[in-house]
Amino acid sequence: MSAKKKVGLIVNPIAGMGGSVGLKGTDGQMRHKAVELGATPVTPERARQFLTRIRNSDRIELLVAPGRMGEQCASGSPEVVGEAGEITTAEDTKRIAREMVSRGVEVLVFVGGDGTARDIQDAVGLQVPVIAVPAGVKIFSAVFAVNPGAAARLVESFLEGAGYDEQEVLDIDEEAFRQNRLASRLYGYLLTPRASGVLQRGKECSPSDAAAAQSKEALASWVAHNLAGNVLYLLGPGTTVKVVADAVGVPKTLLGVDAVTDGRLVGSDLGEKGILQLMDSYVETRIVVTPIGGNGFLFGRGNRQFTPQVLRRVGRKRIIVVATSDKLLLLDALRVDTGDFELDQALSGYMEVIVGGNETIKMEVRG
Amino acid sequence: MNACLELDLNEMPYPPPDSVVEAARKTLKDLNRYTEPDALQELAELLARYSGVQREQIVVGPGSDLLLREVVMCFGAGKKVVMVSPSFLSTVRVARRFAGKLVSIRLSLPDFRLGRQALLEELEEPSLVVIDNPNNPTGRIILDWELVDDILYHPQTLLIVDEAYFEFSGMSFAGLVADHANLALARTLDKAFGLAGARVGYLIAGSAFLEAFSMLFTFLPQASLQAALEALRQPGYMWKNVQLVMEERERLRQELQILGAVAYPSNTNFLLLKSRIPGIAGELRERDVLVLDLSNQLGPGYIRVAVGTPEENDAFVRAYRSVAQRHDEGIDS
Repeated sequence: MSAKKKVGLIVNPIAGMGGSVGLKGTDGQMRHKAVELGATPVTPERARQFLTRIRNSDRIELLVAPGRMGEQCASGSPEVVGEAGEITTAEDTKRIAREMVSRGVEVLVFVGGDGTARDIQDAVGLQVPVIAVPAGVKIFSAVFAVNPGAAARLVESFLEGAGYDEQEVLDIDEEAFRQNRLASRLYGYLLTPRASGVLQRGKECSPSDAAAAQSKEALASWVAHNLAGNVLYLLGPGTTVKVVADAVGVPKTLLGVDAVTDGRLVGSDLGEKGILQLMDSYVETRIVVTPIGGNGFLFGRGNRQFTPQVLRRVGRKRIIVVATSDKLLLLDALRVDTGDFELDQALSGYMEVIVGGNETIKMEVRG
Repeated sequence: MNACLELDLNEMPYPPPDSVVEAARKTLKDLNRYTEPDALQELAELLARYSGVQREQIVVGPGSDLLLREVVMCFGAGKKVVMVSPSFLSTVRVARRFAGKLVSIRLSLPDFRLGRQALLEELEEPSLVVIDNPNNPTGRIILDWELVDDILYHPQTLLIVDEAYFEFSGMSFAGLVADHANLALARTLDKAFGLAGARVGYLIAGSAFLEAFSMLFTFLPQASLQAALEALRQPGYMWKNVQLVMEERERLRQELQILGAVAYPSNTNFLLLKSRIPGIAGELRERDVLVLDLSNQLGPGYIRVAVGTPEENDAFVRAYRSVAQRHDEGIDS
């Protein structure tokens, strides 16, 4: 039997914590605010989902970062690499990644978001292939697998000797993101094992020509005129949904979740708690959401305020998806990665996307 | 000026036999006269015999696209129309213009599969379902007997299947029309019979459709009518050409895959390609090769290319190779 392959695991314990409370990230001092607002860690569960879905775990030797950075997520007694304090930093991630490479790790798995990807890129560049398990608030880089299960399939591809591809790591300006602007630039590349259909594509901007604007306005006008009375509408992020808000005549945070009922704004830039409180006051709630251009995520990327609890209470049938047909044609499917496997399965199947006043396209949703 | 290599319209690359050309030519001296009704009757009879159906089920018209347009306008105007996406663009445009609501089921990648349940759950209310099988532009067979049976089971649903390429796929639902009033098929002599210039199409229609067409009496142009009659009297010539095209299609597909293009399996006389070169259609056009650019239907790099003669296919492969080499050199430099 061939020797086991050394696989390193680094978990960013604070990644993704800002999502449910509407903070759009935990870079810098935001982690404290996230904790104050009641956010709880999401990466341990994502790491466990990843580890339990690896089918050939007997063929790998797992090396983990200490404590919450990996050790606590793994079963058995994996070798622990490096040291870290109770409060972990980007420097810990970089230092431990380098140490893992020096210990002969052949593929490095990390659990986090775009910020973690940048740290890994700084530390190891193209020296070893990586597998990126999505768990952050901002997960727009193409290096990420579509969900933890897909990341586990990348381990299988690696073990089977698949080749490698360079994938983009994006640098999203978190401060700009918080101020309602999506500013990104190419930060660098990481190597990933080659496998079909398991990596997300990077975010692509919505088409912005005159025809696209006209198309958005037509569908937005139709949606706005067909909103039912006495129903709470939660408007998700994105320029397409913003045009719906414009048609209703209410202001919209471009990257946040806002709430509208009977043509009035009743909540702005809401987190999970605010959404659930508002929902208590209405018999019916509907979500208006648009897929992310380029990778098709409806939930789980850039709108983690729509937590599994919110989505379960709203229900699949009351999710209204809007998009221009131009945006849809670049997508192979719609995707969900809510962090709740059963919910992802329940949301899977075909969903209707409103693309115009009298036109809808039914697209497959993959969880 | 160089002649273009025209592979954008899915035409049969071989001309009709001399006897068909001669039959059309003979009509020219009678251009001052309308078509003889008896000749139209004879055409309907030959089409019925060719299709294995009753004469009364045949509706002849000037091109299957126009017949499809009639069907959408008669049965879909202001109502719900269900289609697949992508689909034959001419029909999509009509549906978008006239339907009360247009629902398109997106064929799922990687193999352009049709979601059965997604389609069937749309049929709880009265609907006109319009599906091309094989699908244009993917070339894939997307309907099977069970699904058609399930669709027809919905009494408020009318189903029209565009079978423009059925001679290449070998699959037709003509045998079901007699027993299902709500089924119609649209066919053409443009493709397999190589009579694109004659524009002869026909419906094989169930009784729910026939009523709307009972008042429709179409005069076909004399030359088209006589060419169609002569072609139908000797279908062996057409079947021989279909066989040649299918053999060439598989050779072309293999050669393009060697060049790194994704060439999807096809049940038609064309191939759907996904090229790694985003502007491939424009690059080929600069080399006087015309293909259908599908970037606005399927995304960058998708084109549809008709299967030509062996010489035309070789020329296409050379042009594709040249574009690919230039593209790769550009990336390397």
